Amino acid sequence: MKLAGRNTPLVDGVEKVTGRARFTADLPAADALVGAILRSPHAHAEILRVDARRARALPGIRAVLTGEDCPIAYGVLPIAQNEYPLARERVRYWGEPVAAVAADDERTAQAALALIEVEYRELPAYLSAHDALKAGAMLLHADKAGNIEREVEHSFGDVGAGFAAADLVREGAFHYAEVTHAQLEPDAALAEYDAERQRLTLQSVTQVPYYVHLTLAQCLGMQPADIRIVKPFVGGGFGHRTECLNVEIIAALLARAARGKVRIVLSREQTFVLHHGRPETDIRLKIGLKKSGEITAVDARCVQRGGAYAGYGIVTILYAGALLHALYRLPAARYQGSRVYTNTPPCGPMRGHGSVDMRHAFESLLDSMAAELGLDPFALRRANLIAAPYRSANDLQVNSCGLAECLDWVERASGWKARRCKLPRGRGLGMACSHYVSGAAKTVHWTGEPHATINLRLDFDGGITVLTGAADIGQGSSTLLAMVVAEVLGIGLERIRVVAGDSALTPKDNGAFSSRISFMCGNAAIAAAEELKKLLKPDVSFDEAVRELLARGGPVTTRGTFFVPAELQGGKFRGAAVGPSPAFSYAAQVVEVAVDEETGAVTVERVWVAHDCGFAINPLAVEGQIQGAVWMGMGQALGEATRYDAPHGLPAAANLLDYRFPTTMDSPPIDVHIVEARDPNGPFGAKEASEGALAGFLPALTSAIADAVGVRLHELPATPERLLAELTRPVRAAA
Amino acid sequence: MLLPELTLMRPQTLAQALEFAAEPGARLIAGGTGLVPNMRLGVEAPRTLVSLERVGELQAIEQRHDGTLRIGSGVTLQRIADDEVLPAALRAAAAAVGAPAHRSAATLGGNLCLDTRCLYYNQSAEWRASNHYCLKRGGEICHVAPKGNVCRAAFSGDVAAAALALDAEVEIARPGGRIDVRALARLYSGDGAQPIALEPGEIVAAIRIPAPAGRSGYAKARRRGAIDFPLAGVAIAVGLHSNRIAHLRVALTGTNSNPFALSGTETLIGAQPAAAGAPLAKLVQKQVKPLRTTIGAADYRRQVAAVLARRLLERLTKGDSS
Repeated sequence: MKLAGRNTPLVDGVEKVTGRARFTADLPAADALVGAILRSPHAHAEILRVDARRARALPGIRAVLTGEDCPIAYGVLPIAQNEYPLARERVRYWGEPVAAVAADDERTAQAALALIEVEYRELPAYLSAHDALKAGAMLLHADKAGNIEREVEHSFGDVGAGFAAADLVREGAFHYAEVTHAQLEPDAALAEYDAERQRLTLQSVTQVPYYVHLTLAQCLGMQPADIRIVKPFVGGGFGHRTECLNVEIIAALLARAARGKVRIVLSREQTFVLHHGRPETDIRLKIGLKKSGEITAVDARCVQRGGAYAGYGIVTILYAGALLHALYRLPAARYQGSRVYTNTPPCGPMRGHGSVDMRHAFESLLDSMAAELGLDPFALRRANLIAAPYRSANDLQVNSCGLAECLDWVERASGWKARRCKLPRGRGLGMACSHYVSGAAKTVHWTGEPHATINLRLDFDGGITVLTGAADIGQGSSTLLAMVVAEVLGIGLERIRVVAGDSALTPKDNGAFSSRISFMCGNAAIAAAEELKKLLKPDVSFDEAVRELLARGGPVTTRGTFFVPAELQGGKFRGAAVGPSPAFSYAAQVVEVAVDEETGAVTVERVWVAHDCGFAINPLAVEGQIQGAVWMGMGQALGEATRYDAPHGLPAAANLLDYRFPTTMDSPPIDVHIVEARDPNGPFGAKEASEGALAGFLPALTSAIADAVGVRLHELPATPERLLAELTRPVRAAA
Repeated sequence: MLLPELTLMRPQTLAQALEFAAEPGARLIAGGTGLVPNMRLGVEAPRTLVSLERVGELQAIEQRHDGTLRIGSGVTLQRIADDEVLPAALRAAAAAVGAPAHRSAATLGGNLCLDTRCLYYNQSAEWRASNHYCLKRGGEICHVAPKGNVCRAAFSGDVAAAALALDAEVEIARPGGRIDVRALARLYSGDGAQPIALEPGEIVAAIRIPAPAGRSGYAKARRRGAIDFPLAGVAIAVGLHSNRIAHLRVALTGTNSNPFALSGTETLIGAQPAAAGAPLAKLVQKQVKPLRTTIGAADYRRQVAAVLARRLLERLTKGDSS
């Protein structure tokens, strides 16, 4: 291959480096009204009265909206839509939008918000799953008894027999703080309503323009054909923007009400409260092992504090169970999951969706059991390797798995054999494995359409325009698609132009989530390019072939599609739609730490990570994504945590100072090794590269801390105070 | 959030600055790294800002013949961090503030006069309104210590601790142009609500540091390598004579409503450095008063302050001059 497999700078990199890239808040909006949102001052309250008359009467105010103005609920899952863009009857978390205004300028908008009178009757606020689950707790949603949004009970294989056959059975309890995406760009939306034609154009920070399109049509009662969604440059997503955001709907409603253009830019605090991040999670996990290290059975329970509304919640609680499987051979596993409604901002998908906390618990317990059995952690993993093709007990089909090679590399590169357990006290090594899907085999909005569609347009200029709905949110998907097309056609990248994410021009795409684009859109791009290649006369120059083709019938547009084959679409049980993927990525990593036993401070000295992405179409981008995944895992492991304080559910750390993600000063060298176990269904054999390495960091870190100072944390983040408390805890009698 | 409407004055001389600063409602601004975020949160809403950026008299670093150092309040923290003439504690404290972008704008005077910080104070207007505000601004109670009637917000400037340990004096320019010189400790009221003991119209013009003797250093407990206020900060200036402690000053920041010089260090004079660490740690444990003003646990801040003090003394008395 000429191009695929070579380090290629991103096609839109120049704009970002020079500052020319326009993100939503940078879009020309001189004629736009300023949208602003009034938010709930309570975590849980009944709305008795909203009086916006004085705000409406204020000069310079063009629209004022309250919950009355949008009676249509939304939510990403068609079966769980219980959120309104502006609260109706009740508010369920602090900061929930209650009313919105569009004004000539920011000051007038703020003045109008202050004039809106809202009378509340406070209700009991449940800030933890534990409190919401208490007998007699008031229901957040009348149709959900016990405040349980969804209970999952899955059992595969003979779990009882598995534990009976085990030589060692151990159980552990784990707790994980809620974390949020903290993407660099605060949320924003620019909506323009053409009152004469009754059409709407929205530009926003979304990862999923198609879902936004559907939701706006639903909430505004408009024909989808009258709506256009355009995705400008997006400053990171990580799952935060995988659902239509309330701010997108509010901007659209305001634009229509004001018959004009409305821009809303949220503050950092408001962006934090919009959240949709990884829920606070409690896990109880039991694993049975043979002396050889082979896993005989698993029993996992998981409780997630889901927040106030459904969102993606059901998917998250299902993923936590489904992705117990397909990393190792698991002959039998039971999973019980509960997603709980609480008076905190709604949770949602976040990089490594659903799998991350469970993976920490699993790898941690494996590690301590390995020690009991006298097995090296690597040996234990090797005793459970999958040999592809493999079908897991819960019907996940694995057709390629490079985990063995990942393990070999990180073991060798880190000097594991020579250094593990032999470093001076305070210094330690830990390892762990992880995996992830390459797109969901069953989409949330299942229509029977292909999983991905790409159009290629060829015209007199000899340039090829890739038309795709796939949202490039910084991960490099537009570059990848350009490379794939150029590769198939045997032309240079400079001939390719990518137009991504404009519903008026580009074919529908499900969006940037679950690491689907490389695999699904990559395949569709290959198909579209092959279609075009068939039309071009062989054995002549490209320009000559183009002239010849156009002379025959004018400019050409071809289409390529990708369907996930039926055998990769998983099982038939309830909840089986979450987990199946056309391919799985695999990763192993070793983390080296230095622990200061007097202050509890943990320094990550170095990380060695190997990731099997099938085939690295753009190794430069793959390396960056793997480092990003490791780094994001490091943030969760070391310091990130949201916090909501009683009685009002106020977010204590809704800013980038108190929400402590790592800085460049805290970033260790991350040695990346790309493993290429080509997948038979992947584009040139490729699989996902952006999420799989995240989950492994957390257990590798706590395992390294255990190696360094003998304390294994079952709670994250590993803050200095938490670790110091563990280190200074009175020594328990030997078990 | 939008900044409030205000008038920005940009005086060229200290005399002019004093004149503008005397106007009712005027507030001084230098680098703005502390004040502007607070204005965006709405905790500060000055009608007039007097920028000291162009006041040349505040920009100098001088060493007098007797060895005394004089540093203008307008000197940026980056300059202090980079200037090899200055004592190590001062340089290290300046280098520990924020990130390079902050340090290139933030000034000595701004860091010395930094407003106290608190979880219940440095929050948006909506946030604070939901919580019925706090004793420091607009409210009736201190959420950190609800039974008391004093604001317990924490002073979080790094440089003050170093300057206190170095026995600094502060020059205060007063309306009319007179310069008052007083011990730096007297710049701090100890009241979290009004931490800086300046009268309206007064301007911190410079600090004076006696000719450095012995060694000094600064250690900062924080959760990440940059962009973090101190959970606790410790500065020490120490001199040895025949391997005994001849002079010792220790100052702390981040834990109380004022940066303060540790008292009782005279009991360590004459001690061997190795024997002084534990009693020093005890003194620190007793005198720091961290409360729930930050995300980090208060008790942790107390413990870590003591550890940092002991280690810093060890380091400074062991031959490491940094």
